[in-house]
Amino acid sequence: MFEMNTAEPMQVDVPPEDNENNETESYIVENPTLDLETYAAAYTGFAKLYRLMFVAEHCPSLRLEALKMAISYVMTTYNVSLYHTLHKKLADAVASAGLPDVAVQMGSQDIPVLDTIWTESKTKKAAIKLEKLDTDLKNYKTNSIKESIRRGHDDLGDHYLDCGDLTSALKCYSRARDYCTSGKHIIMMCLNVVKVSVYLQNWAHVLNYVSKAEGTPDFNEVPGKDSNQSILTRLKCAAGLAELATKKYKSAAKHFLAASIDHCDYPELLSSNNVAIYGGLCALATFDRSELQKQVIGSSSFKLFLELEPQLRDIIFKFYESKYASCLRLLDDIRDNLLLDMYLAPHLNSLYMQIRNRALIQYFSPYLSADMHLMAAAFNRTVNALEDELMQLILDGQIQARIDSHNKILYAKDVDQRSTTFERSLAMGREYQRRTSMLILRAAMLKNQIHVKNVGRDTGPQSGEAPGSSTSLTPRTFDTVPL
Amino acid sequence: MASPLEQFVNNVRTMSASGSFRELCDVIAKSDEVLQRNSAHLSTVLETLDIQQHSLGVLAVLVAKFTVQQGATDVDKSTMYQQIHDFITNCNGEQVRFSPELYTELCHQLTNYLIEIKQPIRGIEILKKAIRKIQLFDSHLTSIHADLCQLCLLSKCMKPALEFLDTDITGIGSELGGNNDSKHFLLYYYYGGMIYTAMKNYERALYFFEVVVTVPALVVSHIMLEAYKKYILVTFILHGKVLPMPKYTSQVVCRFLKPLSAAYYELATSPHAAVKHREIFVRDKNMGLVNQVLSSMYKKNIQRLTKTFLTLSLSDVAARVQLSGPAQAESYILNMIEEGEIYAMINQKDGMVVFLDSPEKYASPETLCVLEQQMAICTKLHQYIQEMDEQIQVNPQYVKKSVGSHDEDMPATSQNSKTTYSM
Repeated sequence: MFEMNTAEPMQVDVPPEDNENNETESYIVENPTLDLETYAAAYTGFAKLYRLMFVAEHCPSLRLEALKMAISYVMTTYNVSLYHTLHKKLADAVASAGLPDVAVQMGSQDIPVLDTIWTESKTKKAAIKLEKLDTDLKNYKTNSIKESIRRGHDDLGDHYLDCGDLTSALKCYSRARDYCTSGKHIIMMCLNVVKVSVYLQNWAHVLNYVSKAEGTPDFNEVPGKDSNQSILTRLKCAAGLAELATKKYKSAAKHFLAASIDHCDYPELLSSNNVAIYGGLCALATFDRSELQKQVIGSSSFKLFLELEPQLRDIIFKFYESKYASCLRLLDDIRDNLLLDMYLAPHLNSLYMQIRNRALIQYFSPYLSADMHLMAAAFNRTVNALEDELMQLILDGQIQARIDSHNKILYAKDVDQRSTTFERSLAMGREYQRRTSMLILRAAMLKNQIHVKNVGRDTGPQSGEAPGSSTSLTPRTFDTVPL
Repeated sequence: MASPLEQFVNNVRTMSASGSFRELCDVIAKSDEVLQRNSAHLSTVLETLDIQQHSLGVLAVLVAKFTVQQGATDVDKSTMYQQIHDFITNCNGEQVRFSPELYTELCHQLTNYLIEIKQPIRGIEILKKAIRKIQLFDSHLTSIHADLCQLCLLSKCMKPALEFLDTDITGIGSELGGNNDSKHFLLYYYYGGMIYTAMKNYERALYFFEVVVTVPALVVSHIMLEAYKKYILVTFILHGKVLPMPKYTSQVVCRFLKPLSAAYYELATSPHAAVKHREIFVRDKNMGLVNQVLSSMYKKNIQRLTKTFLTLSLSDVAARVQLSGPAQAESYILNMIEEGEIYAMINQKDGMVVFLDSPEKYASPETLCVLEQQMAICTKLHQYIQEMDEQIQVNPQYVKKSVGSHDEDMPATSQNSKTTYSM
């Protein structure tokens, strides 16, 4: 029993690339303006613990506080191993803080000490509870009452989750699937699996079960419109999170935008503020102007989300009003806080980059020519840095323009539709010819059964002849080629 | 004269006279040993046979003669060229087509001989004639094609091979496929690709190398590996990056060829790779191409600049393309303008380059002519595909398989079809 608990909860089943992603980007946030208390209060369960741990890792000034809060929260659960880990981290933090006054001050206050009695009693209790749930489940099984078995599995899953054994929890929740008798149960099961999968950062699993839940036949007929709405919002949030984590920002934005504020009660995963920020940033980075207007600014439901994050609301409005300099400045202001968000932080750079590019594109879109000095001023950049940025955008085909580097003017390129059409059709024709003759040749090849195989000679049949003739040829051929 | 040999001559005579060449082929196949054993008398046998009337017989004797003489003296070999030349000019095409294996074997022998005495250029005309003689149609690939390309490469005389290379192959000689190994097929496309590379027709060269690399394969051939290396280099020159391989590429290619040519891949990412892996490139005799790749990278980068800039100073060009200085940038740009690769003007007074748009407006009669030619080619290809499709549609085997048990539906089609499309 205890062995199970000792499994590091963070490392279970995490796909390797995510792991690297988190590890390679070790950065330090110096001056966050984050009120940790309110921040932590928005979450429960693992979401709270993980987020606090993330803050502790990346923000030295909040480290002690975050760890203390995490420890006091973990003491309400059965998660003994995490308790130990946190204590170890706390000890390290205190040691490395070094500053005597801080240590003294903190130490004099309330650095929690490792409570071995608590550990033992909790471990014991957890074992007892597990045993009880196990026997219960066995009894249900012998009586083969489907509903009870399902509940037994769920309870066991809840307990494992409480103990921090995520993989076993996932197993129990998934096992409940065979005993679901109604659509509602299936949705409950899906929600449970989604929750644990998010903790495990198994995003493919999350999307899979979200679509499973949405595909449940009586999903739309679940009694009580409110509960239905809240389930829908939960699913959308989870799906958005998964899309965000897999870098599909546009669909992430769409998922988050579909959430409804009145029913956004999902403290196990994210808060309404998170939905606002994730959705807002993703939308800003990927939507074009009309989409932004219609689906974000004009959306009555998402407007309420934005009210929670006035800074982000201002950013979006500034962006829409083409006040890019202030928009980008505001974005920089909230950057530090966003870097402390465990789900957003790995993507913040690319999101910011995309927002910036979009701003550049929009800035230039109405002009035929633009003075790059003015443009640089509007984007807080030097002219040369701007030139590089623009060059990249032009090469990617995002801006149809050319730079007059001599006079530092950006000219819109008038694309001659006729010429490009000719050019493209000729290229297409050549491509067709190439492919078709390749196809004909291949048909002939297959008809004559030409393929490279081991002909019954001694070892390395081709090796003897091919390079012999080819290498003796190669030098002579290519020496003749003038450079 | 030994009696089996006499019998052979008699057989050749009677069967050639009666026109039963298929049976004659069988006889020849069986009398291989007889001919080999009596190598001393083969010249006399040749005298008794007429090249035009008994082409198959003469062919068999010639092949036997030159196979035997591997350890023989130079004197005998000197007649070889003349004899084969006479045979190929005078033989009866109809007859030799019954035994393409022997015919191509003879050509391979000639090729090897000429390479040995280092006079490859002498064979080009003969082989061209030989190919034309045995071909059923222009786009028919024989294994002699590979020999011709090899001789052209060795003699650095590429043009004669082009008339064959430029025709897209639609049919393949039986001697290339079946149970024979694919060596000559691979070699033809490998050499062909090299010839096109030497002629700087990279588009076509890439096509040829791609053919080699996509041949269905169960094991890795060295020809394939070498072709793959050159394929990578040529894609760099043409496109500046590696394009994904077609889906039907064999798995061995991805599994074995890629790791074996890792050095080549590195070229795309860092210009220092050329120096770092110099030994490998020199050993593979690809250094010339590698140098071309390097200079084409600069050119590609300059071309990218023309897309983004209207004016740019020469020193900026040098900095962005990582050339050593304005002077080098100027010479590159000058060359490219002359080659028609970019459209630009250099203002030497203030060291600026003005990039222009392509003057091509697609309005001249020439453009129209090109367009029409291209369209004609496409239509022709399309028709050919349709013909192939029709052939398959009426192929009895196909009909049987696709219709399955409902054969009462199309009895007419299957009976009418005379085409045999061996699957």
